[in-house]
Amino acid sequence: MSTAKQSATWDLQLRQLLLPKLDHDASECEDAIAFDIQTARFAVTDGATEAFHAQQWARNLAEHWVRNEATLTLEEFRTWVATEGRELHDSWNGLTMSWYSEEKARTGSFAAFVGVEIDLPSWKAIALGDTCLLHCRGSALLKSFPLSRSESFNSTPILVASNAALHESTMSSAMVESGVCENGDVLLLMSDAAASWCLQRFENGDFDPDFLATKEGVKDDEELRRFFDGERQAGRIRNDDLAIVRIEIKRRIN
Amino acid sequence: MYSAQITRANPTCIILLIDQSGSMGDSFSGDSVRKKAEFVAEVVNHTLHDLVIRCTKTEEVRNYYYVSVVGYGRNVSTCFSGPLAAREMVPISDVADYPLQVKSSYKRVSDGAGSWVEIPVRFPVWIHPTADGKTPMCEALIRVKDILQRWLSEHPRGFPPTILHLTDGESSDGDPDEIGRQIMSLGTDDGNVLLFNCHISTRRLAKIEYPTAETSLPDGFARSLYAISSPLPTNFLAAAAQLGVRAVEGSRGFVFNGDPSSIVQFYEIGTSLTGMTPYKWMDHSETS
Repeated sequence: MSTAKQSATWDLQLRQLLLPKLDHDASECEDAIAFDIQTARFAVTDGATEAFHAQQWARNLAEHWVRNEATLTLEEFRTWVATEGRELHDSWNGLTMSWYSEEKARTGSFAAFVGVEIDLPSWKAIALGDTCLLHCRGSALLKSFPLSRSESFNSTPILVASNAALHESTMSSAMVESGVCENGDVLLLMSDAAASWCLQRFENGDFDPDFLATKEGVKDDEELRRFFDGERQAGRIRNDDLAIVRIEIKRRIN
Repeated sequence: MYSAQITRANPTCIILLIDQSGSMGDSFSGDSVRKKAEFVAEVVNHTLHDLVIRCTKTEEVRNYYYVSVVGYGRNVSTCFSGPLAAREMVPISDVADYPLQVKSSYKRVSDGAGSWVEIPVRFPVWIHPTADGKTPMCEALIRVKDILQRWLSEHPRGFPPTILHLTDGESSDGDPDEIGRQIMSLGTDDGNVLLFNCHISTRRLAKIEYPTAETSLPDGFARSLYAISSPLPTNFLAAAAQLGVRAVEGSRGFVFNGDPSSIVQFYEIGTSLTGMTPYKWMDHSETS
């Protein structure tokens, strides 16, 4: 695919995968993927299962962020999240709720976020939580952000909060990162269960550089789904929603 | 062990066993206003509230937990009343939908910018304070065992049941050791039933929380409760650490001579199961 931002010498090959937890319907998936060709932005979010309208919050963050032009500095991101949070909470005004939904709505929603803007050969990303960006070159991992080790994933990450009262304490954990790509490099955006699994493969030295590639001979979507179902059934991947975006950087041959 | 994912298809159960004997009508030492029974009822209501919130998925409460509240004093009986009366094991969605009443109040929370704001909150009430009669602990534990056996016959897999037992005195109907051990020997494919005991005291005595050995305990009564207290699994230790409670590998789920803060922490640790939730992040607040 071509994006408006990339130079005439580069091409991006994109593959994405979004799977709900085992035995769950696709409509229950609280991970979200979004990208925008014009802005060359890609985002993966992971709504916290226990949060109020987590799916809506995760989708809003991903879909609205990729359409944005700013929000790549911490300050811009902070302001943007505050606006998004306000709009989300405003959308609940006037709803008749049970006492428990009311309590839950008061706390608001939470989601992990990672977004990257690609302006080849460079990329710049922002993240909060345990959704990750991995920059790979062949079977080498150049960078993993914001978490870099499989054991760093736990059940209580700091997440993007929709509730204004929680902004200050959570936003201080947001991080920005950047990198420079070469021909054949791969950027992976992943929600936590997939990222943890992938980092473990790197740590064990058995990461397949063609993982999720679009070239001939690699798994098609149905095969991939079966593969990840098997990994989750075997307990090698936690039974969680899975969101994966693979972006391969290709230099055009003129 | 103690690692099974708690899902709607594979729920777990929590039994709150409460001493409602006459002595629970006494006040805590140094606190002439607050009676033990009142404080315990308040904490139990908060615990049920937190379990409901933890299972709330937008407008739906998902049945990850089934809850039983059993009291013992004048008699041994389930503590729910109203639409939940006489029900031994109640899915958390029914707990959510049938409180006896929902009180409204205000809570002060940080606005994140250095000030406090007051926001409306609602407190559901399921349990009223009760303090009457003796302490038929053995009979109560036999009832708990019956409930557990019925649960386990239908749920042999998954996260094992947790029993949080709170008492302020010695059993009046015999030594609970044997029935306690029988309960602890039950279990699922993910581990034995977890029996945690919290003893609270009216007198100002040194409290002992989550000990690793009975040698630190003052008397036979303390040692007998220690003997029927399960070791805290790793994920409960993590919850204790987050609350600033010292519990280490080998610590038993046992408190002796506990005070009001011990009770709150006992229920928080005992219901932590899969860890703290985002909801807990809002606990930096005050109730007005």
